[in-house]
Amino acid sequence: MQETRLPAPVEASLAAIRNSLTSPELIEQLATLATGYTPEPERELEEPTYYDYPVLKEPTWHWEIIWYFFFGGLAAGCYVIATVASLFGSKEDRATVRAGYYLSLLALLPCPPLLIKDLGRPERFLHMLRVFKVKSPMSMGTWGLVTFSLFSGVMAVLQAAHDGLFGDWWGPRFLKALPRNLIALPGTFAGLFLGSYTGVLLAATSVPLWSRSKLLGALFATSATSTSTALISLALRIFGAPASALHKLERLEWVALLLEMTWLFRFLRGSNRAGRALAGSGPGEQGPAFWNLVVGGGMLLPWLLSTLSLFQRTKTRNGRGLLVSLFVLTGGYFLRRTIVKAGHTSSRNARVTLWNAKR
Amino acid sequence: MAVESTNQPTAIPRYPQWQPAHTVVSTFVGSKVSPPAPQPAMGFFTDTSLCIGCKACEVACKQWNQLRAKDPAWTGTSYDNTESLSAIAWRHVQFIEQISPTPLPPPLPLFDRVAAAKSDGLIPETPPGTALPFFNSERWLMRSDVCKHCANAPCHEACPTGAIIRTEYDTVYVQQDICNGCGYCVVACPFGVIARDDYGTLTARKCTLCYDRMKDGMEPACAKVCPTDSIQYGEVEQLKARARERLGFLHAQGVKEAQLYGVDDNILDGGLNSFFLLLDEPEVYNLPADPPRPVNNVAPASFWTIVTAAILGLFTILFFRE
Repeated sequence: MQETRLPAPVEASLAAIRNSLTSPELIEQLATLATGYTPEPERELEEPTYYDYPVLKEPTWHWEIIWYFFFGGLAAGCYVIATVASLFGSKEDRATVRAGYYLSLLALLPCPPLLIKDLGRPERFLHMLRVFKVKSPMSMGTWGLVTFSLFSGVMAVLQAAHDGLFGDWWGPRFLKALPRNLIALPGTFAGLFLGSYTGVLLAATSVPLWSRSKLLGALFATSATSTSTALISLALRIFGAPASALHKLERLEWVALLLEMTWLFRFLRGSNRAGRALAGSGPGEQGPAFWNLVVGGGMLLPWLLSTLSLFQRTKTRNGRGLLVSLFVLTGGYFLRRTIVKAGHTSSRNARVTLWNAKR
Repeated sequence: MAVESTNQPTAIPRYPQWQPAHTVVSTFVGSKVSPPAPQPAMGFFTDTSLCIGCKACEVACKQWNQLRAKDPAWTGTSYDNTESLSAIAWRHVQFIEQISPTPLPPPLPLFDRVAAAKSDGLIPETPPGTALPFFNSERWLMRSDVCKHCANAPCHEACPTGAIIRTEYDTVYVQQDICNGCGYCVVACPFGVIARDDYGTLTARKCTLCYDRMKDGMEPACAKVCPTDSIQYGEVEQLKARARERLGFLHAQGVKEAQLYGVDDNILDGGLNSFFLLLDEPEVYNLPADPPRPVNNVAPASFWTIVTAAILGLFTILFFRE
């Protein structure tokens, strides 16, 4: 079988792009620029540690938690957007409301199994409900998840009743008679909490990368908004919706991505040397995935694309819209993945941990 | 040898009986046993200036607490093959070799010129901490590391199940039948002490300060076995006084680099119930100088989150209104 070959100049430029995307020099420059910390290997080697054994224990959290952070953010964001659209929107936003409530429950379903699987002793997961501890974000998160599940489930059922999925008898008729928005409103607060507490939870640890800047909660809140907006508009584009409804989501996406990039930059600046675990190119550092998939592909590119869309008043831009959604969703997943993995790297680094504890 | 119990088991109250309003809830859920009477706070004072690196504490701890051995491996880091505290190592002896490459000796002056040579620096000053004028500062530091039983323990503050409690002796204790192995305490601890036993119980484990022995009026196994009294056990306030006294003594003897860790420095907003006398900077022993207290981040992190949620919420409402 003969290999398909592109024209030589195209090949060359593709190779150049490929090389520059993975070039350690570029990643190092970006890391220094973003964190505001210039590595000084000689001086760092002179800092005392105990044989470079980690000061901290490595987190026990792996892929389950990464996916939970992603799905939890989606479930919360979809619910909040659906509720706001239902409260303030017009007729054409009905598709947004419908997609929001269904997708919220759909994204929520994998969350409890992921969290339970992550435990050392999954059969004891109910022990989480023994206490209500305001100062433990994980305890509050458990209660928040339970509360939100209730609202997300109820609203999906009410939506299904309105959509006639249960047929037409006294049961669905009773459900339709219930004050929908009034029931949905308290769930919004549970949703806002669920979408962002995970960042606060990571910030309330001793891991330098997660805790130093105290901004992970804000970052996760913006990412929950951008990814869930992307998911809803993805669904609307596939199943069809009025252009005006999509336009509202596009604008929300634009604002959310802008705020997300701002917080991400503030996060790296605030983390300083600890931020290198996320942005650097050293062993275990997440720079390549972070700069390419999160910042480049997940934020800058879709933000530029949606900027274009906002200024072009053409009707048909479904392709670009789909692309934006996919980029944002991929970026949102890799944001959580790189932050969790970089947290592992950060916890293993004795020098950074000891530096972080000097005040 | 059977040891007579000093604490009588608490009597279980008979029901029904009159209850104050706030305990009515606990009639249905939670404990039916009244908590044990509070005792004076107990802790460790680990004086590294006395440690000889015999590792008897490690062995005694493993034996008493029935902690399994780790796979033997030569680490190449001095005599330390334990590496760090873990779910199955609740005492860990560090060996720090402060041995510099031997410098060339100064050309020896004639004896009648010794005084002059000392004054113009040809003969170096006797380094601090060196008992005899060996003209070098080489030394071998040893320290038995252990859980710090912090006054404000981050693991205790993080625990979402209530498995980690403060006992009547003000020590931090993990109830093995409650812990579900969520791993939040593992990342909360700024000293890397508590760990999940991933090849055993799958729960978080760490030093209990030998709670079972304390209940019977005995000192913890490591303190009992320590041949030089480098590990001392007792009431925290008395031990702290003893630590200050020891520090004064060492300073008077010329060991100026001696310093206390966790006694008067208000680490984690309250100091440690298990503290140390060090012979170098904390970092040399992998101890964070002044670790941030994780729970203090909850308020600022929540504040910025709420600000963000408000901004995004307003924009969402704005976009959907028009």
